[in-house]
Amino acid sequence: MANTVFIKLRHRVQVKPEALVTLGQVAQIAATDGGLIRRLKAIPLYRVQPSDKNIVIIDMMQVVRAVLDVDDSLDVQMVGPSQTIVEVLYEKRRFSTVAFILVWLLLFVGSAMAIMNFHEDVSMQKVHRYLYEVMTGQSVDKPLLLQIPYSFGLGIGMVLFFNHWFRKRINEEPSPLEVEMFNYQQAIDQYVILHENKESMRQLDDA
Amino acid sequence: MTTLEILLVVFVGFAGGLAVGTGFVAFLVVLGVIPRLTQLTKTVKRIHAYEWSAIAGAIVGGWISLRHPVWQLSKYWLAPIGLLHGIFIGMLAAALTEVLNVWPILAKRIGVDDKIVILLMALAFGKVAGSLFHWVYFVDYFH
Repeated sequence: MANTVFIKLRHRVQVKPEALVTLGQVAQIAATDGGLIRRLKAIPLYRVQPSDKNIVIIDMMQVVRAVLDVDDSLDVQMVGPSQTIVEVLYEKRRFSTVAFILVWLLLFVGSAMAIMNFHEDVSMQKVHRYLYEVMTGQSVDKPLLLQIPYSFGLGIGMVLFFNHWFRKRINEEPSPLEVEMFNYQQAIDQYVILHENKESMRQLDDA
Repeated sequence: MTTLEILLVVFVGFAGGLAVGTGFVAFLVVLGVIPRLTQLTKTVKRIHAYEWSAIAGAIVGGWISLRHPVWQLSKYWLAPIGLLHGIFIGMLAAALTEVLNVWPILAKRIGVDDKIVILLMALAFGKVAGSLFHWVYFVDYFH
């Protein structure tokens, strides 16, 4: 009876530039024969080239072909994702502290301006004065007793929404920001799976 | 006013209120502030009570702004109201940046995935500073 191997591709792996991607890197392998697993793990699949930029897709069919080339008596069972995203990690260009401080200040000033324009846009000063009058029967020019707690509340509300104080204590669910980053990464992965994989689409003028 | 005119005015008022009310609810739903609060406090079961609290707030607010009552309460009641008011607006603002997908794109573009919390703080502090500046100083010169 033919030897059965189960191969499960990983979702995403990172390699160095010019690396030789082997089956062991991109997949988990299960079989009854330990020696066979070792042999399969060493199968070279792809040599990363500079022209690949930073994403290479290894397709399931490519893996099956490579395994059958080594031993065509094997019964290959693929499970899990049908491709692996290989991310080529080039030397990370350091994000300089100066640039970071600039971005920080940009967000700080921009956020301050945005809230001031919002207050004017909705005539909040008028509403606050009116509320002061409703509550106390007196009218004042600057109802700071309402407005200073309001200002601090703004910051607390933003932090609360993004769940940074209560992270450990209240719950271990991911924060909206983490979920959002995850969704964005998923969308990018979906895109590269289709667009960087030459096998996944065939156009009319292709041979 | 004839009966017809009264009916017409009632109809117009009711239709206007309906449109504004549905818009308000749609806004709250899109931004997802209430689900976020239930998730933070683990009170998902009470979500209907929260819905009614938003509705009651809208009705009380509408009544105050249209009828101009005067209550003669201590002015110190305004401090907790201001704080709650601020937290709510802060959550709306945070939710808006989330809906607009600002953060993931910013993090990817300039490659600061690990420092995103510090940038988030820039936004929060900017809001606090801008708001304090506005009320304490800026209004004297603008109005």
